[in-house]
Amino acid sequence: MLKIWNKFSLRARLSLLYVGLLTLSICVVGIHSYWNVWHLLFYNTANHLRAQAKPVIEHWLYSKSDQGKVLPSVSESFSLAKIAKPLAYDLTSRNTVAIILDKNGKILATGKRLPEEPLPPSPNSYYYSRALAGENEVNYQTVVNNEPTLVLLIPLRATPVSRKILGVAQISTSLSPISQILFKHGMMLILVAAITLMAGGGLGFILISSALKNLRKMVNICQDISKGDLSQRVNFSYYHDEIGMLAGAFNNMVARIEAIFESQRRFVANAAHELRTPLTALQGSLEVLLRGSQDDPSAVAKLSRGMYQEVTRLIRLCEQLLGLSRLDSSSNIQKKLLNLNEFFDDFIQQAKLLALDRNVVLKKGPFVYVKADANILSQILFNLIYNAVQHTEEGGNIILGWRLVPDEVEIWVSDDGEGIAPEDIPHIFEPFYQGKSSDRKGNKGAGLGLSLVKAMVEAHSGYVEAKSQLGKGTTIKFNLPLT
Amino acid sequence: MSGNADILIIEDESTIADFLRIGLSYEGYKVVIAKDGKTALDYIKEKEFDLIILDIMLPDIDGFELCQKFRNRNLSIPIIMLTAKKEVSDRVKGLDIGADDYITKPFSFEELLARIRAQLRRSGRKVENTKLYAGDIVLDLETREVTKAGELIYLTPTEFSLLELFMKHPRRVFTRETLINRVLGYNYIGETNVIDVHVSHLRDKIGDRPPRLIRTHYGVGYAFYPEC
Repeated sequence: MLKIWNKFSLRARLSLLYVGLLTLSICVVGIHSYWNVWHLLFYNTANHLRAQAKPVIEHWLYSKSDQGKVLPSVSESFSLAKIAKPLAYDLTSRNTVAIILDKNGKILATGKRLPEEPLPPSPNSYYYSRALAGENEVNYQTVVNNEPTLVLLIPLRATPVSRKILGVAQISTSLSPISQILFKHGMMLILVAAITLMAGGGLGFILISSALKNLRKMVNICQDISKGDLSQRVNFSYYHDEIGMLAGAFNNMVARIEAIFESQRRFVANAAHELRTPLTALQGSLEVLLRGSQDDPSAVAKLSRGMYQEVTRLIRLCEQLLGLSRLDSSSNIQKKLLNLNEFFDDFIQQAKLLALDRNVVLKKGPFVYVKADANILSQILFNLIYNAVQHTEEGGNIILGWRLVPDEVEIWVSDDGEGIAPEDIPHIFEPFYQGKSSDRKGNKGAGLGLSLVKAMVEAHSGYVEAKSQLGKGTTIKFNLPLT
Repeated sequence: MSGNADILIIEDESTIADFLRIGLSYEGYKVVIAKDGKTALDYIKEKEFDLIILDIMLPDIDGFELCQKFRNRNLSIPIIMLTAKKEVSDRVKGLDIGADDYITKPFSFEELLARIRAQLRRSGRKVENTKLYAGDIVLDLETREVTKAGELIYLTPTEFSLLELFMKHPRRVFTRETLINRVLGYNYIGETNVIDVHVSHLRDKIGDRPPRLIRTHYGVGYAFYPEC
């Protein structure tokens, strides 16, 4: 059952639920109102008849004194049978008919004389005995000649307050007029209910549809996006309801994904672009050699040196790309507690080899342990020193060292080379960014070195900064958290 | 000969500039290299070139801008643009600004040569002869026919390419490796003395007798001497 229910769309389910509840409440109200009206009319009729019957019965049973006091007609000579006939006649009218019964349930008299007067129902012994027992207001409904009929029983007492009951007067009247009124009332109720249901159901369906329309739109847009068009956005953020909130959250998510895709795409395009120049040089040089320049030793020397340079460049680019991709998974980083003193003692030897003719000076800081991957830390420093070498003249100075700042250790590499133009500084850590001054020596990198440094430092929860003055030199420092 | 055309190469990548210079010189062009836009503008003032090969990515002036400057000076030199950008919009921009052709990196050197020849031909500066002469031998590049004293000689495509190469570069000594690369392709694998067979057939067909047009340089290769 629940399975079938869940197969419906949300719109169908909400509409069904809404119409169901509406029907239920209209039925309850309608039935209650119908019953109330019936009850009102029934007792109204009964009370009306009783009010009419009361003076007639008193007239025949009791005589009134001069003072208006009702005197009991209890005398030996008084017999109910004697007055039964006129009493019945008096109680009978055009649409009511009375019969008088004695204590034993025997019919003493019937009020029906004319044929158009209704037929009295035969007495019901159960209600009769209740009236005989002294219950004043016994009303019930029965059917005579297929007509609903109201029957009232009035106990006939010896005195108005006496316990002694001589007999019972049964007055009955047809309920047809009431039934007709009730029928009309019922029809009215059904009509109103039908109109309400239709209007309410229709309106509800429209409301639910319009609320869910935006969800449908979102479904369509999601499908477009899943086909690859990430520029699509859900365009109803002006709704401040839950759907509007969902749309907002959804848009943010798509925008973020699009940005990531775009940066990935740009990265790949840049990487391909960086591959193009060395590949062009390699292809061209080889072709020129094969076409005949191989017969000229000076051309061979020149071109093979160039090709070697380009291959070195390709290998470096390849390693940097691999380095970046390796940093994406943290399992490749193995952090251990490192004594910086020992680490730099080892490192400075290799740094001096890399620095060629530049003077490398290590300025040691305080004794400290850092949690870091020694391999990656050396790669960071190698990259920084390689950069410093690229941008200093022979005989230039490269200084590296560390110092403690609150909760962090700051490691720096500075040089007295050409420096970086101020407008380039904000971009130097972006992948493939190459400042205008970066190709002075002709041995261009791909512009990945510093972005690799940034990624490696960030893999250690640290951050990196650059300070530079054109013509005076550059300092690049990175901070790693202590413990 | 391909006409000793003067070519200005504007390219900042030294390895690319090097192979272009060596390769084009080998083909007989006179090559000047400018490493940036400013130098290029200086060269343009001093000398008249027949063709410019222009890299778009330059350290000082953008290649498009430079191209526009050349055109503003009313220079009608053919310009071939060289770039790593492959987007159509870049090509359209380059051609709109006044470049005559556009070639993207990486490119085949052979293709560049073909485009240079086409541009030189179109501009009518250095018209390449469609017929090559050596004594009574005439080689027609368009009909690919060779006649000796007016009589048609039937050559195989390999023999034709060999003769064309020799006649285009008289007196140049070709090694067997170079000859193989040029007439049989860079991917040829096999003995280098296969070229001796082709040369011998060619000599027979053109009736080459001592002192020969095609002379053997022992231990090196072959060269063509038309005057003898």
